[in-house]
Amino acid sequence: MECGVPVIPRRRQFLLALVLTLFMQTSWADREVVLVTGKDSAVSSLGALDIRKAFLGIAVLVDGEPVRAIRRRDDVRLNEIFLQSVMAMSQKSYDRRILSLALKYGTPRPDQVDDAAELASLLERSYAGIGYMWRADAENEDRVRIIGVLWRGP
Amino acid sequence: MTKLPRYPVRGSRRLAVFCALLLAVLLWAPEPVHADVEQDFLLFPSVDGFERFSDSDPANDGFSDHVMVDFLYTLNSDRFRLLAEYFWSNKESELERFQAAWLIKDATTLWAGRFHSISNYWASEFHHGVYLQTTISRPGLDQWEDDSGPMPSHITGLEFDQQFELRGGAGLRLGLVAGLAPTFAGSELVPYDLINSSSGHENAYEARLIYQPEMLSRSQVGLSAARNEIAVDSSSSPDLANLDNIRQVTVGVFIDWEWPKWHLLTNWVYFDIEMDYVGARVKDDFVLAYVQAEYDASDKWTLFARTEFGFDEDYSPYLRLLPAFVAHRHMLGARWDFADSQALTAEIADTSTQGDDFSHDNFKELRFQWSAVFP
Repeated sequence: MECGVPVIPRRRQFLLALVLTLFMQTSWADREVVLVTGKDSAVSSLGALDIRKAFLGIAVLVDGEPVRAIRRRDDVRLNEIFLQSVMAMSQKSYDRRILSLALKYGTPRPDQVDDAAELASLLERSYAGIGYMWRADAENEDRVRIIGVLWRGP
Repeated sequence: MTKLPRYPVRGSRRLAVFCALLLAVLLWAPEPVHADVEQDFLLFPSVDGFERFSDSDPANDGFSDHVMVDFLYTLNSDRFRLLAEYFWSNKESELERFQAAWLIKDATTLWAGRFHSISNYWASEFHHGVYLQTTISRPGLDQWEDDSGPMPSHITGLEFDQQFELRGGAGLRLGLVAGLAPTFAGSELVPYDLINSSSGHENAYEARLIYQPEMLSRSQVGLSAARNEIAVDSSSSPDLANLDNIRQVTVGVFIDWEWPKWHLLTNWVYFDIEMDYVGARVKDDFVLAYVQAEYDASDKWTLFARTEFGFDEDYSPYLRLLPAFVAHRHMLGARWDFADSQALTAEIADTSTQGDDFSHDNFKELRFQWSAVFP
């Protein structure tokens, strides 16, 4: 021992690094943003363009019914990922686009919720609702079904 | 609104036909299956201050203010949609739009009611949502009818709207309109008023084709064409004596393009006009245009400029009937966005209105505005 700092043997260092790496990989796998719908919903899958349309309020029909998109406003990081990876717009552009479509065509503005549980509750009651969650939240919520991956962490 | 006694039967019949069509659309719409009824309400308030300076006509100089609120209500239920827009200000109040739609397919919509003209770019893009337009003033070309706008901004009738998806995310949008054109009374066009309806309105037909390189973005290029038969109330003004009818054909091209920092908006419209006087027909043609550039200096600050001009418009017999029409304007301004959905804007401009004869009234304008949208 030098300078009072304990020295960890090389084998222990290797095992610690291995455990940390495995833990971080599990963590990264959880850092996925997924597209979810109600467990009994009519929506089975949606293309990228249809997802973007739905989150602008533009009519996308599934079994003749309009898809109802629901946004999260509680999670800043989740919202950033949604705007950058799904909508490819800044917050300002997205807000103005939604207002403009509402004013021009009466396009309904997407609903907003404050947490994953509220989203799950709305999706469960909607015939063709969609929303987005962290994968870990979606897997712990039996009222929703995952229908796509919107973003994967690095 | 001035009553036009010359076409009472035809106007009443058209109103009856319109009501029957509206009813047919509503009955045709299928019953809601899953009762997801969505209602939305938006409020666009704004307060303008306007100072006018001139060397030639100081009697008309001075300060004026304009307090405005635009109420927008929408209802969406399955494939049925209702949109109502009511505009109130300290100078006027009017049911601007009242239209119902049936979503025939996800990209095909049939509207019936009173709506904003699709050949009037500013009206169809910003409506009365002042907060959404960067500038305070509207271009003279796209001005409302009661502000000496030269072309209709309200049509009552049917509108067919179809979107086509192209490869690579691009899109085409086709709009077709058939309805009632405004009349001409006093010194302005007078659109059909749903609440205080009058007879005497003739036909309006419009078509517009828009290309969007990315169909969900704002950037677009479009062509528009319109034919308006405008009945004239000859007794409403000495300037209209012996004038029976105005036939107005317009062909326009517009570009509304966004780059990361820049935004360009330009609209060019060719007018071909025939004015039927008793025993004589006067022909008139001219071009009106504007170019507006906006620069996002930061998230909060936008600088902008617009120039409005024309070709062969200075001696137009038709524009002479619109003395307050803004023929030329060179304008600079800045806008500050704050608190999520509020903005303060200032503009300074060198402006010429048409005037009572062919000599324009020239003056300087200074405008300030607070605008917002709630909720």
